[in-house]
Amino acid sequence: MAVSTLPKQMVSLRGVSKSYGDKVVFRSVDLDVAAGEVTAMIGPSGAGKSTLLRCINMLEHPDAGEITIGGKTIAAGKSTSLKEIEALRRKAGMVFQHFNLFPHMSVLQNVSFAQQRVLKRSKAEADKRSRALLDRVGLADFADSYPARCSGGQQQRIAIARALAMDPEVMLFDEPTSALDPEVGLEVLAVMKELAKEGMTMIVVTHEMAFARDVSDRLVVMADGAIIEQGDPHKIMSDPEHPRTKLFLRAVVGR
Amino acid sequence: MEHLQAVILGVPLTLLITFSSLLIGAVGGVPLVLGLRSRQIVLQVICRTLVDLLRGIPAVVWLFVIYFGVSIGAFQFEATTAAIVGLGLVSAAYMAEIYRGGISAVHSGQWEAGSALGVGRWATFSRIIGPQAFRVSVPSMTSYGISLIKDSSLASTIGVTEIVFLTTQDARSNAGGLTVYIIAALVYLALSIPLALLARRVDSVLRKKVSR
Repeated sequence: MAVSTLPKQMVSLRGVSKSYGDKVVFRSVDLDVAAGEVTAMIGPSGAGKSTLLRCINMLEHPDAGEITIGGKTIAAGKSTSLKEIEALRRKAGMVFQHFNLFPHMSVLQNVSFAQQRVLKRSKAEADKRSRALLDRVGLADFADSYPARCSGGQQQRIAIARALAMDPEVMLFDEPTSALDPEVGLEVLAVMKELAKEGMTMIVVTHEMAFARDVSDRLVVMADGAIIEQGDPHKIMSDPEHPRTKLFLRAVVGR
Repeated sequence: MEHLQAVILGVPLTLLITFSSLLIGAVGGVPLVLGLRSRQIVLQVICRTLVDLLRGIPAVVWLFVIYFGVSIGAFQFEATTAAIVGLGLVSAAYMAEIYRGGISAVHSGQWEAGSALGVGRWATFSRIIGPQAFRVSVPSMTSYGISLIKDSSLASTIGVTEIVFLTTQDARSNAGGLTVYIIAALVYLALSIPLALLARRVDSVLRKKVSR
């Protein structure tokens, strides 16, 4: 991957905090992700990884801080119009743990719907793009099926195609393989590796340690509502600095 | 047999009242449920009050209020129209609650998927949540429809010549006694059982398509 000396920041978070009532999920988190960079976020459950990811596209509204995606900034606390939030969301594609495909639409409609509705592409244009993306995730033959007829791994690949159809500048993955059998998860990971290779900016919350180590450019470790360590994945995995990271890695890798 | 003939003459009006008020209810329930779920407190309170009044007061009272109470100048509801409007309004309130249940049965991930794709709130509701909520609502709607076939007999109280009105008339004038009422009961069964069967069929077809 060609990395310039001053990589363009695609996503940056400044002082982002989130609480539910008295329960602090995370406090004042900073994070920068350069264009084309693949960032893996790991850490124990309840560390706030998923909530942080969901704050990036405002599915959860942070209590404080600033979120920038591709030059578009939203500051928490200020009254933000839905239009601005939608503009921010348009820059990010999201893949959910439970796929969240639309069960009443065919696979093709699932991928085409938002293209027509949001990007105002014609049906022919949208379908053409959808078929190309379905082909890319290996599901060209499933265009006319319904999601219920597809396996979990297939559904997740459809969900990835659906997100890519909106031409996002960054892809957010929220534990994309956690609801899948390990074997089925592999086909999803293969698609994600392919995306990473093509230079897509990705932030991946995951428990897949091999993916985090081998595919990501940077590893971010979250625990107890903060980023406790980040950097080169191989270095952190073999020689973690923070005792909490050591504890966590021993539990997931050395089992 | 002349008893059966007398009773059957009421079938068209029974069906007309049932289906018209069901239609009014199915359509009118939509703005009501939108109001119930609105973030505008005033709108929410108005719709909540309306639904509670419509459901809390017996339908027969509504029919009387509409038939005898509402007369604006020379305007006066005809009995059948009054029955359709009254039962239609009550149905709208029940439908709103059925829809509300259907909407909350749709997984919240569906809203999130819509938002994440940048689809607006209204389009997410009308194109993603609504169709799924409607499918979930079908069994409750048909079961309400079946009970509405029977409730349409309330129209007899304001003189609509539907099944129960004609049955009572026949029982009194032609000494039909209990027999006429049993015939009427069988006619109601003959109307509602096919509807129940159809409803089950529709439900299983819809279910097959979206089951996960």
